[in-house]
Amino acid sequence: MIKQFDKYNDILEFHPEYDPFMKSRRKGATYWILHHIFYRINSIIVFTWLSLVVLSAFLFAKMKQYIGNAIDALKITNEELFRNFLLLILLFGVLSPIIDLVANMTRELLAQRLERDARYELYVNLLGKSQSFHDRQKIGDIMARATNDVRQLNYLISPALSLIFEAFINVLLPIILIIRFYPLELLITPLIFSILFIYTLKLYVDQLGPVSVDLQMEYGNLNSILNESLAGIEIVKGMAQEETAKKRYEYSSSRYKNLGITQGKIQARYIPILLVALAVTGGLIHGIILYYHGSMTIGDIIAYVGLLGGLRFPTNISIWAFAIVRRAWAGAERLLGIMNQESEISESASPLKREIEGNIKFENVSFHYPGSETKVLEDISFEVYAGQTVAIVGTTGSGKTTLTKLISRLYDIDSGCITLDGFDLQKYSFHSLRDQISYIEQDIFLFSKNIYENILFGRKASKDAVIKAAKDAQAHDFILKLPKGYETSVGERGVQLSGGERQRIAIARAFLSNPKILILDDSTSAIDSETEEKIQYAITQILKGRTTFIITHRLSQIRWADKILVLSHGRIKAQGSHEELLRTCEEYRKIFVTRFDKSLDELLEAQT
Amino acid sequence: MVYAGLDAEEYDRTYSDRELFRRILKYFRQHTKKMIVVIIFLVLTSITAGVLPYLTSLIIKQLETTSSTTMVVALVIVTLIMNISSYLFNYINKSLSAVILNSVTYQLRADVESQVLIQDMSFFDKYPTGKIVSRINSDSQNFFEMAQIFIDSISSFLVVIIMLVPMFIIDAKLTLIFLAMVPLIFLFTLSFRKVARKKTLQGQRVLANVHSFVQETMNGIQIAKTFRQENTLYREFKDINKKSYKINLNRALFMNFIFPGLGLIQGIMLALILYYGGESVLKNPSISVSTLYLFIQSLWGLFFPLFSIAAFWPQFQTGMAAAERIFALIDSKPQVIQKGSKKLEKIRGEVSINNLCFSYTPEKPVFDNFSLRISPGESVAIVGHTGAGKSSLARILLRFYEFQNGTITIDGQDIRFLDLQTYRRRMGLIPQTPFLWGDTLENNVKYGNPDATREEVLWALEQAGGGDWVNDLSNGLDTNIRERGKLLSMGQRQLVVFARVLLQDPSILILDEATASVDPFTETRIQEALEKIMENRTSIIIAHRLRTVRHVDRIVVLDHGKIVEQGNHEDLMQKNGYYARLYNTYFKHQSYEFINEIHNKA
Repeated sequence: MIKQFDKYNDILEFHPEYDPFMKSRRKGATYWILHHIFYRINSIIVFTWLSLVVLSAFLFAKMKQYIGNAIDALKITNEELFRNFLLLILLFGVLSPIIDLVANMTRELLAQRLERDARYELYVNLLGKSQSFHDRQKIGDIMARATNDVRQLNYLISPALSLIFEAFINVLLPIILIIRFYPLELLITPLIFSILFIYTLKLYVDQLGPVSVDLQMEYGNLNSILNESLAGIEIVKGMAQEETAKKRYEYSSSRYKNLGITQGKIQARYIPILLVALAVTGGLIHGIILYYHGSMTIGDIIAYVGLLGGLRFPTNISIWAFAIVRRAWAGAERLLGIMNQESEISESASPLKREIEGNIKFENVSFHYPGSETKVLEDISFEVYAGQTVAIVGTTGSGKTTLTKLISRLYDIDSGCITLDGFDLQKYSFHSLRDQISYIEQDIFLFSKNIYENILFGRKASKDAVIKAAKDAQAHDFILKLPKGYETSVGERGVQLSGGERQRIAIARAFLSNPKILILDDSTSAIDSETEEKIQYAITQILKGRTTFIITHRLSQIRWADKILVLSHGRIKAQGSHEELLRTCEEYRKIFVTRFDKSLDELLEAQT
Repeated sequence: MVYAGLDAEEYDRTYSDRELFRRILKYFRQHTKKMIVVIIFLVLTSITAGVLPYLTSLIIKQLETTSSTTMVVALVIVTLIMNISSYLFNYINKSLSAVILNSVTYQLRADVESQVLIQDMSFFDKYPTGKIVSRINSDSQNFFEMAQIFIDSISSFLVVIIMLVPMFIIDAKLTLIFLAMVPLIFLFTLSFRKVARKKTLQGQRVLANVHSFVQETMNGIQIAKTFRQENTLYREFKDINKKSYKINLNRALFMNFIFPGLGLIQGIMLALILYYGGESVLKNPSISVSTLYLFIQSLWGLFFPLFSIAAFWPQFQTGMAAAERIFALIDSKPQVIQKGSKKLEKIRGEVSINNLCFSYTPEKPVFDNFSLRISPGESVAIVGHTGAGKSSLARILLRFYEFQNGTITIDGQDIRFLDLQTYRRRMGLIPQTPFLWGDTLENNVKYGNPDATREEVLWALEQAGGGDWVNDLSNGLDTNIRERGKLLSMGQRQLVVFARVLLQDPSILILDEATASVDPFTETRIQEALEKIMENRTSIIIAHRLRTVRHVDRIVVLDHGKIVEQGNHEDLMQKNGYYARLYNTYFKHQSYEFINEIHNKA
């Protein structure tokens, strides 16, 4: 039955376009959370839950009333009546917790589903975001949201909102009962209490909120400071800086201590506790006065004071329940902050689909990353013909990687023009563009699956084809040496592959997808000459027959490229063949002269 | 992740409960006065909390029996005063315990952290950073929470005792019946513990899976996009998210039995007591009905503190286990211990190693009777296969590990008798992977010499390959380069480490050459800077660069802890022996001939 109310399984494929929550996200955290609870999880569950809570509270109050009735029956020594009430007490005493249990279960269903659905929504949203979004976002930050903030939504329902709802009933119940059974003037105490309670509670939550946030942040600091000191322990010791490390930790630790004390004091000061005690006594006094006036019996006083005692529960749970609500709301706002950011890149209205040859031309291209003002690339012009290899060299931050990202249109340029086979890059469909351009990135990322699947990477190919690709990439031999060969899984607990090995798996991947344009961001290094030879062999093979852009420190790859672009501060400082650059670009020449202690003439001589 | 700190380590030991309490008490002893105040107010708070319901019942009784208002007024005033003082007592007690507990935890953290810092490197090799951090921070946090709950439970316990007193006076038999049923509450909560722990662990594990899946996606998002893998990821995520939902729902549903269960026990206990009480009232009219009512009223107040004590025991155990783990870490001893504390001033840099014996584990000796002399100002490259003992040599010199036999002297002084602080300041360390702090660039360069001026920092950067790149940073020298220098490129990080050592101005340089690749332009700077750093000091280099081995005064070729060849590059190459073979394995691909020919070969 419960499954019928679950919409989670309805969508099977990834449809970033189909997003039933887009509008609700625009309307802020409160609306979004309510929309999730009522639309997605189904209002029937919500109403069942709330009615059960009311029912359970009602049964419990009824049981208390029967205890009074039983005592009254004893007073008039009516044994039968006493036994009847006793049975009722037992019945309600058992029934109330059972209803409670069912209410709790419904609540958990709601809480867990909210967590699951919010995480799902976030994930789908992240998957649909553009690359520039992901470049901007720190992974640690996104992870904090996907873990903590989503979890907070669970706690929001269970226990926070659930307790607050119960508390609300516990404030309402005495008021309703007083209206029904007692002189109306007895409402004075609970009403004054309620007003003061809400006011002091707000003060308390406002005071506590920022301290708890600081406390959490400082605990994070405590962890990262210690982590850093221990990760760099060799340096700490080698440079005899133990005292500095100790001071740094103790500084943060003592801040944490002081915040803890502040928090403890705020909690100790919690005024509603005093208010509720005064309310009970005030009610007693009021009752006594009415008793002397003859408008109340002793039994009435006892019951009335008992009702006021029920206010203790909402008072006690509010010490922390509202703090959870506050945290969850802040978390929801952070989640929306991420999800509401727009994706910047869109496909052209009538996307061009065609086979690519691989002639690329940049004309006065300038580019800056969205959200930053500095130009990363300025006035870039060059031309590459199909099948050529272009080496891009320059120091870090000169714009090498950015330049290659423009080719597969992970970003759109500010000005100028990039053409592919004579057509503007922006006219191509994403599919035909990205299907024919492969990227071997700097930090090769392998998913925690086995090697075979990592080479396949979602494509359909025969086992033989995979092995051939691995052989061409010089990866077959080391793969066979792994514990389970191609079935070995690349995981955190699995096998540690070296950078060079990862790179060769990526090259195998590229052999299999056989792109027309290849971008190779090569940063691996081999310690021994034999491995180096294999890596270079694999690289040389994959370059053949396609347009390739290679960012590399490998001098042989640079030396033998058809064209070399020397980038500096986002501009092309020089371009041409190895020989041309040796003659014309001093910085370029220096690389070879310093490294090999050879003069320009010696270098040029070897050229032939 | 949550359980990262829970695995047993070699230094772990079991303490008897008495010993553990003694150690914990030692930390509280610094706050004796405050502790006494806390205890006094704890008792006072409990007394007022326990007496208040009794006062109310007295007032009711007065109303019933006499018509004198003075007594009622007096009792009401006492109630009011009690209420206000109860709040004040509670405030004093709570805020003072916050001071004590936070200070004790702070002290515990400080002690364990400084103990960890004096450990030698063999300790850090053995235990992963994450686990040590978790022990220092989360275990002390667990201890803190335990202590907090402990104080709360004492107060609950006192409240229960104080409330039981008038109940005994009212009706001893009913009180005994009630007490006889109390163990039921404890049995019930304890019976949940094992399954709850298992289910919680399952829940955390599956959640950790979801989190690592999301993290993996984020890490590989670019490649996933270029290879159009969104759908595969989507489906996998959906399944794993669903699995987490199911398991966590199951755990939550199970845990939800506790409070309704306790409610059930409460209901049954009430009915039973009312039954016994009622029957005896009916049989023996001498017992007053209002006393029975009073008894029932007091009973209501007892359930909550009782439930909280029952829920406390498992947390108490967690806290004690945490305390045990912290003390084990505090009590672990380092292996490197100095026999003297002679302070070193300026030294010439003569290194002499005589008959050195060293091993990490007794069965695998690294050095056996190893001797090497290095003259002041000499540059020596150490080369050899992995495991030949290159890095061990550097680490022993830095006193990161204790050696078993032989002597090492610097300018004729045994390094085991030197003050470690001044000694290490004379030694310059450049590790293979540059390590930088999440601090400003300036502070990173000044790390070994905090008193250096800004001009000196700029000078050092200038010497180390030119400081022009610093201007590209958003705030120049004041830029926070983020943890491990993330903001800088690998090559820049190396240059910063060079500048750091230049500013430290050591007499002996120990350099483990980086193997990570950097762009050719920065590489050129690094090579030039290296030669500047080596000028005028004794340098011991674990060499990976062809240019370095060609430029040093002497190459020492190591094999399994023995020197097999010595000499300069040309001589050793001509000899065509061990070094020549080593060259073919490790250095050939850096030669001009190799890069010139590989393309035609492929």
